[in-house]
Amino acid sequence: MKILIAEDEIALQRSIAVYLERDGNICEVASDYIEALEKVSIYDYDILLLDINLATGSGLDILRTLKKEKKTTGVIIISANNSLDDKLEGLDLGADDYITKPFHLAELNSRIKAVLRRGKFGGEETITFNEIKIDTRSRTAYVDDKAITLTRKEYDLLLFFISNQGRVLSKEIIAEHLWGDHSDLMDNFDFIYVHINNLRKKLKNEGAKYIKTAYGSGYKFIAD
Amino acid sequence: MSTALMLLTALALFIYTRSLLDNELEEELYSKVAFIEESLNRGNSLSSVEPIIHITRVTEIYPDVLKDTLIYDPRQDEVEMFKELTSVVKTSSGLYEIKTRTLVIESEDIFTAIIVSFLSILAIAFIILFFINKSRNEKMWAPFFTNLNRLKNFSLESRGQLHLESSDIEEFEELNRELQSLTEKLYIDYNNLKQFTEDVSHETQTPLAIIQAKIENIINQNNISNKQYEELTSIQNDIQRLTQLNKCLILLAKIDNDQFSNKEKVDLKKLLENRIEDFSEITNVKFNLLASKNAIIDIDPYLAEVLCNNLLSNALKYGDTSKPIEVIVDHRHLIVKNYGGAKIKDETKIFNRFYKEGASKKSTGLGLSIVNKVCTYYKFKPSYEYIDEQHIFTINFI
Repeated sequence: MKILIAEDEIALQRSIAVYLERDGNICEVASDYIEALEKVSIYDYDILLLDINLATGSGLDILRTLKKEKKTTGVIIISANNSLDDKLEGLDLGADDYITKPFHLAELNSRIKAVLRRGKFGGEETITFNEIKIDTRSRTAYVDDKAITLTRKEYDLLLFFISNQGRVLSKEIIAEHLWGDHSDLMDNFDFIYVHINNLRKKLKNEGAKYIKTAYGSGYKFIAD
Repeated sequence: MSTALMLLTALALFIYTRSLLDNELEEELYSKVAFIEESLNRGNSLSSVEPIIHITRVTEIYPDVLKDTLIYDPRQDEVEMFKELTSVVKTSSGLYEIKTRTLVIESEDIFTAIIVSFLSILAIAFIILFFINKSRNEKMWAPFFTNLNRLKNFSLESRGQLHLESSDIEEFEELNRELQSLTEKLYIDYNNLKQFTEDVSHETQTPLAIIQAKIENIINQNNISNKQYEELTSIQNDIQRLTQLNKCLILLAKIDNDQFSNKEKVDLKKLLENRIEDFSEITNVKFNLLASKNAIIDIDPYLAEVLCNNLLSNALKYGDTSKPIEVIVDHRHLIVKNYGGAKIKDETKIFNRFYKEGASKKSTGLGLSIVNKVCTYYKFKPSYEYIDEQHIFTINFI
């Protein structure tokens, strides 16, 4: 996939690119408004990661241009401002998602994948990982074409794992993905263990075991 | 000082009055003698009128004698002071000694009269002055007290400008000017501080995002030890805490800046049921919800959520996880009760920013101050009680 990262903080830009390139994505960067505007006008991208507060202009204006030119690029707004109004304005202008700084790269990656799936072009509604197949429209998972029954959280968890395959995911990142802001209320991580163990069992029953423990307390979804 | 002056005046007046009266009496006595002499010259025979007039024939002339004498007055049954003039006159019918007397007004009486009149004048003057002064002062100080009241009710948070009553008195005007410029300065400082908090919170988000992203890449790119992984996740957790803190500070600033003006009818029963369902996924603590159907209040939906979330999470964070949390709600109030821990030591501080008793690492110390801010914004009344080992937080909507 071709991704443009329009972000004026070079360090953040680089880190995002490094994370996404591991999946074989081609990442281009734009460090200010003019550069971003130029690049979106000339090239076609599958995904645009757009910082609202670019050094020389508003990311929202780039979004407007993009929509005027009827490009099909999926847009995820990155903002330092966790304001409902900003979010609604961005989504109203046609952004596909909105993520607030600071965020986990794993979370950003899973949002990118979700936007790509929903995208009209180049998006697939089924994800395949070896013998596991997920139909994101009906929210069902199959192992060897056999449907397995997953709870809502188990399904979200499997999707998150597959989106970030090969990456180490800490309990905290998983908790935040599943429960958002409430995750800091967790008195312990038993709830995650329960969900992960159930998911493991369900996958194992069908002969798939990809959820590995990493560094003692983290998780990694990886083919053997 | 004024009393001494008054006493002196009274004394002078007393002496002056007495000498005036003395002169008058002498004149009277002399004129009586003159009248009697004239009458005797005309050949009238005059008899004495005791004790005022006493006429006797004498053989030699001697000078006039003026003296005071005491004579018993039987009618008043007391000894009275008389002034007496003894004068020898030569008439056609021979020499006569004429003694005339007149009653002297006693010094005491004069003195009493003076004192009484003085006192009454004083009293009247005092009363009149008192009322005149009172009404004048009231008029003069009225703007001052009006302004004092306005100052008492002035709050930087209410964003109301301080309007001070103008006055004719220069000093008050000066005071007003100074107060006006002081409050304006305070207002600017307060806004700057608020803006500063908000800006800092926003500006730290990006560096935090960079740190966060770099840590994730380190974990994923390198072969690190389990120990290093633990350290890195611990840094991530601290970033998470900072993020939460920032979010809370920004929320407080937003409420301050009046950015939640959207009022809707919010069904607290439904809201709490949803929230409790969410919480049941991440905690074993039981919630007992007792909600009446009419638990509907006018509030910004987002702030309603913030209010419920913070109260419930406060109970979750600090409560005894083995005992249920009780939630009672109707249209008048929202009550959250939880067991665990001793009574809060300083109840008045419980809604303050960063007030923590006991060290819960997860806490930002802002949850309840956000509750308090929402309450202030909607004029709800938050309160805390400790009854039967339960911490009871009540929000009165009316």
